[in-house]
Order: sequence, then C-alpha cells, then structure tokens
Amino acid sequence: MSENKIVTLAEDEPLNLDGGGSLSKFKTAYTTYGKLNDKKNNSILVCHALTGDQYVASDHPITKKNGWWSMVVGPDKPIDTNKFFVICPNVIGGCMGSTGPKEINPENGKEFATDFPVITIADMVRAQKLLIDYLGIEKIFCVTGGSMGGMLVLEWLSKFPEMVHSAVPIATATNHSAQNIALNELARQSIMADPNWQSGNYYHSNKKPMKGLSVARMAAHISYLSKEALQSKFGRNLQDKNSLDYSFDADFQIESYLRHQGFTFVDRFDANSYLYITRAMDYFDVSSANNGSLIEAFKKTQSKILCVSFTSDWLYPTSENKKIVKVFNSLGLNVSFIEIETENGHDSFLLDEPKFFEAIKGFINSTFENL
Amino acid sequence: MSLINENKDFGVIAELIPNNASVIDVGCNDGSLLEYLREYKNIDGRGMEIDQKKVQLCLAKGISVIEGDADTDLYDYPDKLFDYSILTYTLQATKSPKIVMQQLVRISKKAIISFPNFGHWKIGTSLLLNRKMPVSKKLSYSWHETPNLHFCTINDFIDLCEELEIKIEKKGDLSNKKLSNFSGKNFLDSYFNEVGLFLVSKD
Repeated sequence: MSENKIVTLAEDEPLNLDGGGSLSKFKTAYTTYGKLNDKKNNSILVCHALTGDQYVASDHPITKKNGWWSMVVGPDKPIDTNKFFVICPNVIGGCMGSTGPKEINPENGKEFATDFPVITIADMVRAQKLLIDYLGIEKIFCVTGGSMGGMLVLEWLSKFPEMVHSAVPIATATNHSAQNIALNELARQSIMADPNWQSGNYYHSNKKPMKGLSVARMAAHISYLSKEALQSKFGRNLQDKNSLDYSFDADFQIESYLRHQGFTFVDRFDANSYLYITRAMDYFDVSSANNGSLIEAFKKTQSKILCVSFTSDWLYPTSENKKIVKVFNSLGLNVSFIEIETENGHDSFLLDEPKFFEAIKGFINSTFENL
Repeated sequence: MSLINENKDFGVIAELIPNNASVIDVGCNDGSLLEYLREYKNIDGRGMEIDQKKVQLCLAKGISVIEGDADTDLYDYPDKLFDYSILTYTLQATKSPKIVMQQLVRISKKAIISFPNFGHWKIGTSLLLNRKMPVSKKLSYSWHETPNLHFCTINDFIDLCEELEIKIEKKGDLSNKKLSNFSGKNFLDSYFNEVGLFLVSKD
C-alpha cells in the first residue's frame, strides 16, 4: 500500500513545452512502493495509460477498486516490491492530482480548463524526469508501461537514454496511426458535442459533459477488446430479458456493458483531461525530434529492452511493436521480443495473462541479477 | 582445459568462436548454447526462437531473445551486425534453407551451421534394407510427425554453398569432437558423419 504524494516541480526553472509555452511550479501526484536501496539502483518507473493514474497497486480512492496493475506490482508479484522501488506518477494533463486542466492555474486562481497548454508525450516524460531528479535517482533500473505508457517508455529511451538501464514497452507504437487518431477524434468530438461541455468551462456548473465523456469511453472500450473476446463474452445475448423490446433500450448485453463502462468512467475522469491526453497520444511520434528517423531517435540508447505484444490487439498490433524491435535490432541493442497469444485484445496488458507475467518477471529479475 | 571435451556439441562450436565476439543463435532453444558461450567465451549473445516456452526460458536466464522465425525474421538485421551466427540442427526444419543460409552470411561475418547428414551410412542402410524412413537418436521423429522439411546430405550442403558462392572455411566432426580446414568433398565425411557442421562466410 502506498499513500498518494504530491510534489511541486519546476520551482526554479519552468518546464518548456513542445507546443511553445511552459509550465512552472506544476504538481505531480505519485505513489511509491517498496524501498529505494542504498545503491539507488532498484527503481522501476511505471508509466500509466490514457485513463490510468498513479494508483498502480493501491485501491483507487474513487472507485475503491484494486490498483490497475495490482496483479503485476506488489510483494512477490512479477514486479516484486520486496525487491524493487516502484514509482508511478500521474502524467501532467491528468486529473488525479497532477497539474492538468481541472487544477488551479496559479497565475489567475482559476481552473486551467482549455487554457491548459496542449502537451505532448515528450512533455510528460520531461515532467517525469524532474520527479526522478527530485527523488535523487540518477539511473532508473527499469521503465515500463503499456499502451500510452509504452509511448512514454519509448520517449524515455530516446530523450534520456543514459538514465534508463532497462525498459519494457508493452502493446504500443512509435507513433499513432491514422486509425488511432481517428478513434481519438471520435472521442473528442463526442465530448465537445455535449452541450454540457461548455467549451471546457464546466467546473463550477452543475451540468458536466457526462454523456459526451461516457460515449467517448464506450467507443474507446470497443477498441480495447477483440472481436473474438466480445463475441465469446456477450454474443447476441439479451440483458435481463427473453425477447427483444423493439425499443432503443439496452436489449443486448454488450449494450448494457458498454453503457456501464461509460457511466462509471465519468465519476473518475475529467473530460478536458481526456481531450488533452488523447491529443498528446495523437501527436506522438518518437522520431519527430529526429527528422523522422527512428534510428536517430534511439541511437544513444544502450538499455536492455523487452518488447511485448498481444496477438489479438488491433489497436497497437504486433506489427507496430515489431517495428520497434526492428529499430532496436538495427542498432544492435540488447532487445527481446515476445508475442503473447490471447483473445483479450489491447486490454490484455491489464488482465490476468500468466505468460505475460512470466515474461516480465523473467526479464526483470534476470536483468537485476546481472546488474 | 579443452572446451572440446565439454558437454554435447557446444565445445566444438565454442572452439570456432573467439572471445568477446557478438553472436546470434538462430533457433536458440532454451538459450543453453548462448549461456555456455557467455560463460566460456564472454560473447555478446542474442537468440531467436520460434517456441514461446523456450523464449520464456531464455528471458529468465537474462538472454536477449526474439520470438521469431528464421524464415521471415532475419531480414530485420542489418548486414554484418554480428561476428558470428549459429544455426544448429535447424536448417532442415526451415521452409527455405537457401534463403536462411543467405541471410545468415549476410547478417554475420561468419556462420556456423550444423544439420543431420542424410547421407550417413545408417540412413542409407535403413532405406535400402528396411524400406523405412530412418528413426535414430539424431533423427528422432517418425515421418508423419517430423518438423523437418528439407533433409540434405553433407554433399548437398557443399553443393548449395557453391551455388550461393558461400565459402566453407572449416568442417567439424562431432563424434570425434574435431575441427579441420575444409578442402572439398570427402567420402569419409559424407558416409560416416551423422552431423554436418561447417563454418562458412561470404564477403
């Protein structure tokens, strides 16, 4: 169990952002598990995905559910907190205590809302680097994360290669495909089409863009699952009824399930944060700071790396993950790759996948032993 | 201590590899050869393995391994990235031995390739006398369940190298744990070596 901690960073010097502008004295909310050893060489930075947060292995304060990676991080888990010091920060732009659109802008005492600057994955990583500096860690033993978390891992390998001993990017890509961008745009338009969004200024209103955010979540949720998983879980089964209603109520179980996913999501997530973070993902291209060359982007990387993909993930498919492996191979890096067979789709990295756990555990422990 | 007296065929292979070389073992199994070479030759090793259970074993040993297929995934490596590539007992199970061999000599300065010799006298005898596909310690599968697609003899291999303009530098005799310079086809090798083992290269 870990207490949520909040630290103010960039107190002396502002954090300059890719899109121009800067953030100064921004807050980062984070959790830690385990103890940093005397050599300070046992830290693992866990990067969360789009709607994740710092509650990686402790109960979520709003949903009261287990941490999103509680099967992976904890005592005697694949990332063993008896051995490792695990750090998980909420990204900037997020809504669980790190500076983002729903936090107060110190310049005018009001919520940032859409005055918050558009940020990038690289900006998030620069912000995380300030946290790592603050914690007194010169070299992180391992940086890991899935989906957007994987993008953060890649950006760490590119921006601060000397600070990363090893890395496990999971179910991710070097940039967002047109299909990825399209799905995010659908989500954003859904939020912005909700009249309660009010151009982002809904924080003091009793009307919040819950419908828009809920539909955004429903659309995204479909992309996290595979066709096979949806079919085997729900098929055409009806929800608490024996025959069709000939109405627009939730006749099918899948409809009811998605509505529930959307409905519960709005309690824990801020609509403006959803806009900003999906935008950061769409802008992500780890080669962009290097004239589009992935080789250039990673040429200083010396880390030991394990890339993981899942067979039924169509959002960040094996082919995208193999592109990353190919670049690392071209550079002669110590890279491993494993493709986990599962029908659970993109969400697999958050689910009970024993072979995935075994791979992470084997890689991390053997890498630590050979440190 | 001579490495040649060590377990299995590893010693013979280790004799061919200088200290600190970079090595890729294609079809690396559970990574034990790479581990052996890391221990005795301090190599910088990589593996490729198609069987995920074995990939997991490699990961747990700290061996960098790609879950991949020799037929399709060697293209990902740039020219002469490695000092040595190793392909032990895998050539006959690839879809295209010719392409795999071309890829091996492309991605590494030298390649070590071993395969079961279908020209061995016992195999010839089995076919000749019993009219049955041979099953032995080295060829342990029945014809209907074998993963082996392309059996060849030592002489076939030598011919293919010639066709591909691949230079054979050394040959190994695993039963006698002996290495020697290659000087053309040899009646004794092709009849009496159960396994062909060669060090090859192409500039």
